[in-house]
Amino acid sequence: MDVLDFAVNLTASSLRLATPLMLAAMAGLLSYQVGLINIALEGLMLAGAFAAVAFGFVLGSTWGGVLAACIVGALVAALFALFVTDLRANLVVTGLAINFLVLGATAYLLQILFDSRGTFAPETLNSLTPLQIPVLSDLPVLGPILFRHSPLVYVSWLVIPLTALFLYRTRAGIHIRAIGENAEAARTAGIRLRAMQYLALMLGGVLCGLAGAHLAVGELALFRENMTAGRGFIALAAVYFAAGRPWRSALACLLFGLFEALQFRLQTMSNTPPQFFQMLPYIMVVIMLTLISFRKEWHKGW
Amino acid sequence: MKEQLRTLGRTLITLALAFGAGYVIMQLSGKDALEAYRVIFESAFGTPRALANTLLAATPLIFTGLATLIAFRAGIFNIGVEGSLYIGAFTAAWVGFTFTDLPGVLVVALAFAAGALTGGLWGLIPGYLKARLRVDEIVTTIMLNYVAIRFTDYLVTGPFLVPGMANAMSEQVAPQAELPRLVERSQLNFSFILALIVFALVWLLMSRTSLGYEIKAIGSNPTFARWSGMPVGRIILSVMFISGLIGGLAGAGQVLGVHYRFVSGFSRGYGFDGIVIALVGRNHPLGVLLTALLFGALRNGSSTMEMFTQIPRDLVDVVISLIIFFVAVDISFGWLRRRFGKQQTTQPQAAGD
Repeated sequence: MDVLDFAVNLTASSLRLATPLMLAAMAGLLSYQVGLINIALEGLMLAGAFAAVAFGFVLGSTWGGVLAACIVGALVAALFALFVTDLRANLVVTGLAINFLVLGATAYLLQILFDSRGTFAPETLNSLTPLQIPVLSDLPVLGPILFRHSPLVYVSWLVIPLTALFLYRTRAGIHIRAIGENAEAARTAGIRLRAMQYLALMLGGVLCGLAGAHLAVGELALFRENMTAGRGFIALAAVYFAAGRPWRSALACLLFGLFEALQFRLQTMSNTPPQFFQMLPYIMVVIMLTLISFRKEWHKGW
Repeated sequence: MKEQLRTLGRTLITLALAFGAGYVIMQLSGKDALEAYRVIFESAFGTPRALANTLLAATPLIFTGLATLIAFRAGIFNIGVEGSLYIGAFTAAWVGFTFTDLPGVLVVALAFAAGALTGGLWGLIPGYLKARLRVDEIVTTIMLNYVAIRFTDYLVTGPFLVPGMANAMSEQVAPQAELPRLVERSQLNFSFILALIVFALVWLLMSRTSLGYEIKAIGSNPTFARWSGMPVGRIILSVMFISGLIGGLAGAGQVLGVHYRFVSGFSRGYGFDGIVIALVGRNHPLGVLLTALLFGALRNGSSTMEMFTQIPRDLVDVVISLIIFFVAVDISFGWLRRRFGKQQTTQPQAAGD
């Protein structure tokens, strides 16, 4: 029974931890497909997390905070897009600048607006209520694994097929992928490059906002400085690990969520250092990129 | 010369814009912005001790800025200096607490050499992948940074754990391995001198050696460099090794000069700052040195500002990120445009400087 409990608990917590990764990875995927590497996922998420708590507190509504997180995510992404497309600033540098800006600005605003250092956990702000489905949530094993999560977990499950549908079945999605394949050709074919880049980045901003909101108000109701703690880069790793495929990216996120769930459990049980699991996503993506390049060079007659 | 003056002018305008924006932000928050800038300036340059602390804060930034500069000049987007810094820092600490019987000069030299070597080797991983297999270095260097940070964290919480220590840190280095301080009542130490030496060497490398010429050649026109018979792969490897090596020196300098041990997660983004500094310094060694000093002054002054004016020091990070935005916009390095030109350029290539 203990083993079963452990397995149920582990699976449920992997799914929970994978949620912000999956949402951010879908954002990273949209950028990847339009041919832009999105270094700013981390900052976009952090902006979302801050907005969720700040607006949730001010509006007195957690869902209001979630909505605000999406809007703020989209706005910061629009800023990113403005610099990258219209002002032709360098992509990587601008991405890093967004991360710096959000990190500094959220810490600054935390003190100016709420007079708190480090952490802000307003008492009047509640976290999102976990789903309670009459029969399903009470099922023995499946209940805790699938049917008792915070609402944004289910949103993240919906977002994956929606992203796949969008990219492969809608006109805008196909245009986005065409740009990623060959921007010049796409432009010649009459695709509106700038509009599509804005669309991909801003949709990504909304998803990152949701990811941040899940971190902030999904299970707890607080904002901590730098609370994303590198998750944006793990999401980016998932996208590159999956070479830009939606379902594979989501699976990679589940795997990375499992690593996160495992790290502290295995430390107490078998003395496996937690850093091993923390390093794994980053090592895996480097190996995968190497293998992909290796295969490409091989085909070229290396 | 005229071109350089124009570049300087553009940079100064950029800085003025960013500080102006910082002024507006502070005024909007109901704070006295002029007073804040005055306090920053005072506590960064006001007394000899303040100046020493500014130089201290600038020291790791000089290293990382130069490390990034070399890579950027070669057209390699090396974001991995932070990783080399961690690896170099741990190695230097390890030498420092292992070879406790050696005389001071020897153990310091050995620690710096070991830190530089391992930092350089760490840089060779993405370097090799890029040179041999054409794996894009942007993603690999970002990812390897996190590997280095977690791996060194593992080392000091696992094999090199010091029992009874609240934070994850290694043993202290031998007393004779601690770098001599340069002035009283400041931690400013020998690694600042080393940073200046590296600055001079990088300048010489870029302007007086054939490797420097080759670096600039593959950076400004890789196709031409390849067709004129330059060993592009080998140049990439050299660049990544040197870049990582300087990053390793940065880490070793912080360990031997400031912390006297390896502390997990000790770098406050020095490697990332290096990217910004290389850009603001327009990829010129002198520009990098001056920018590193400016950033050192800002970081040093910001904590005093917070103390005296109740303005959160995070404001300085906001101002720095604004500087990056403004600099990123008017960047005119030919290769940066070309690199992402497909998506971004809508007009014919402007003449780069």
